[in-house]
Amino acid sequence: MANDLKTFQPKEYYRKFLEKDVRPDGRELGECRSTVVNIGSITTAEGSALVKLGNTTVICGIKAELANPKADEPKNGYIVPNVELSPMCSAQFRPGAPGEQAQVLSQFVVDVLQNSECVNLQDLCIVSGKLVWMLQCDMICLDYDGNVADACVLSLVSALKNTCLPKVTVNEETQAIETDDKITNNLKVQTTPVSTTFAIFDDHFVIVDPTIEEETLATGIITIVTKEKKLCMVHKPGGTPLKDSQIQLCIDRAIERSGQATKLIDETQCSLDR
Amino acid sequence: MEVDRTSHELRPMTCELGHLSRSDGSATLTQGDTTVITSMYGPGDVRISKEIIDKATVEVTYRPKIGLPKCSDKLKERLIRNTCETVILSGLHPRTGIDIILQEMQNSGSFLSCCINSACLALLDASIPLKYLIAAVTCCISDKGEITLDPDLKQEKKSVAILTFVFDSKDFNVVTVSTSGSFSNEQFQSCLMACREASKHVITFYRESMLKKLSKSV
Amino acid sequence: MAGLELLSDQGFRIDGRRSHELRKIQCRLGVFKQADGSAYIEQGNTKVLAAVYGPHEVKGSRAKMLQDKVLVNCQYSMATFSTGERKRRPRGDRKSTEMTMHLKQTFDAAIITNLYPRSQIDIYVEVLQSDGGNYCASVNAATLALIDAGIPLKDYVCACSAGFVNDTPIVDISYLEESGGGPELIVTILPKSEQIVFLEQNSRLHEDNLSKVLDVASKGCKDIYAILDRAVRDHVSKVSNVANTTE
Repeated sequence: MANDLKTFQPKEYYRKFLEKDVRPDGRELGECRSTVVNIGSITTAEGSALVKLGNTTVICGIKAELANPKADEPKNGYIVPNVELSPMCSAQFRPGAPGEQAQVLSQFVVDVLQNSECVNLQDLCIVSGKLVWMLQCDMICLDYDGNVADACVLSLVSALKNTCLPKVTVNEETQAIETDDKITNNLKVQTTPVSTTFAIFDDHFVIVDPTIEEETLATGIITIVTKEKKLCMVHKPGGTPLKDSQIQLCIDRAIERSGQATKLIDETQCSLDR
Repeated sequence: MEVDRTSHELRPMTCELGHLSRSDGSATLTQGDTTVITSMYGPGDVRISKEIIDKATVEVTYRPKIGLPKCSDKLKERLIRNTCETVILSGLHPRTGIDIILQEMQNSGSFLSCCINSACLALLDASIPLKYLIAAVTCCISDKGEITLDPDLKQEKKSVAILTFVFDSKDFNVVTVSTSGSFSNEQFQSCLMACREASKHVITFYRESMLKKLSKSV
Repeated sequence: MAGLELLSDQGFRIDGRRSHELRKIQCRLGVFKQADGSAYIEQGNTKVLAAVYGPHEVKGSRAKMLQDKVLVNCQYSMATFSTGERKRRPRGDRKSTEMTMHLKQTFDAAIITNLYPRSQIDIYVEVLQSDGGNYCASVNAATLALIDAGIPLKDYVCACSAGFVNDTPIVDISYLEESGGGPELIVTILPKSEQIVFLEQNSRLHEDNLSKVLDVASKGCKDIYAILDRAVRDHVSKVSNVANTTE
């Protein structure tokens, strides 16, 4: 009977749960799914992290390349994030060129990096005006079960914290580039931006960390990215209008979540070093 | 040319409605020096693969002044599309498509709000049924913590954060938010309130433009 | 010739294995909830994921639909961070397209295709870390994913590679041994009937040595079959235990 209602009237099915302040998977409205972070599993990459947010799985790999800096910014390196949504993660994606959702997510991650300034681009400089590091960050979504944006940001930040760059020197006489693989420096990550996504349902229910079913039924989405106690991005692309009090509630919840996530990343980092 | 205005006033706005002959609705909106032309077609045919059986399909295309559309433009399109989907009473036109095309003419600051405002005007010009009007206002926070509404390019470059809010005309709740840069919670709230006040002027401007247009036609 | 010694005098390879030993294999079924069937396999340092969707309606061009058989659609993709040098194109380059076609031919022969006419089965393989034996790990992972999805197969499909160094055939070659330049033979067999589904050989191998290397590779396949079978049985018993306790 419950399954019939779920198939034919998904919104009604959902409303019955929300009225009792709970969701079909047993979570409360303000509860996130269990988060698992795994750092440094891909040895061919300079930095890597695998994040599981419930069933949503994203793996991020960072490869470092040498490049010439831009003429007007001679001391700045590059960080290039790219999100890939392959048909493997969900039946809704077709093989071929990156679709709109992948491009939107990639741009979202670029904005988060820029707004939070979590890595100082000048740290990536080797020789001003001639040689800088270019970090290619590729996030591959393996399982698309809602809230991929949060998982991508979390995996990117964890992978950046795990990145080790080899020491590079330029021989003055021959102008040859020498890389020393044995000496590696950890990339300095200044802040930890954490993103929290909320789905708005029926104008007054606001739920944290939506699954794919909740995302399709939602009437609006709001994403808040925080770093420590400051906000660095509030993104609400249309959807049902929200009252000020609701937005304030979301911001408070996001700050709480960011504390939890930062602790998780630090614990994982420590257990790796041991 | 520096125009003296207080930090809580919007730049002067002018618009021209219905000037493109082939489209169902068109609007050219100028806010200060920022200009955007929006043209819209609809409700009309839509490809079967994109058809929704109980609603109209809204599609937004954004074209920059120079070059081909990039990845960052896709995010803008998604934002404007979601905002318009919220406003349009799409249940009245099922299995049809509504296409909104925005062309950047000049970007002198507060670009996103100019795009959204001109999209709203184009929808009004085409007489698409809407739930409420939407008004977009941009503000920026300088490094000293001062809030400036409707900044131009120079002010945006010097700022620490740029926030764009879109309000509905019924309850003035927040429909869309897009921010860049970092700021504190208190700054967010004060920007929200300042922009809300300013959005009322935008709604008044819409009414005046529509009155002007309708009084001219016979 | 100076350089890395692929096979030492005592019979040890670079990673300490003997010539007939496989790399350590770890595998898991049912790793993703969105896909109908999924599997993850680690052969040494090579890490491969496979996801299967189907059988479902033919998406894309209707023209590709087959009236009497199921359409097997494969996609082989390597993550950009999987190799030492960053791979610019995860798919679409010649090597990946060739791999995709080989996978498709292999599974066309192994799946009982006439059970699902006018339908499509999608097999997606993603290589997360590449250390030689990509094709073999992909085939093994895809077999597990197909079993997890419940698609009827004629038999397990097991693939193994073999090389020939210092007059000794070596099984399950890694990336360093591959790039050493010696001959490489990849064979995919159906273990019970001992039928060869796919065979590929690179570089030069004298025909007198062919049967030796082929035997070694087939034995490797049978060993892999034993490991995969045990993994499937463990997974099924775990899943059925959970089902029993919830009733």
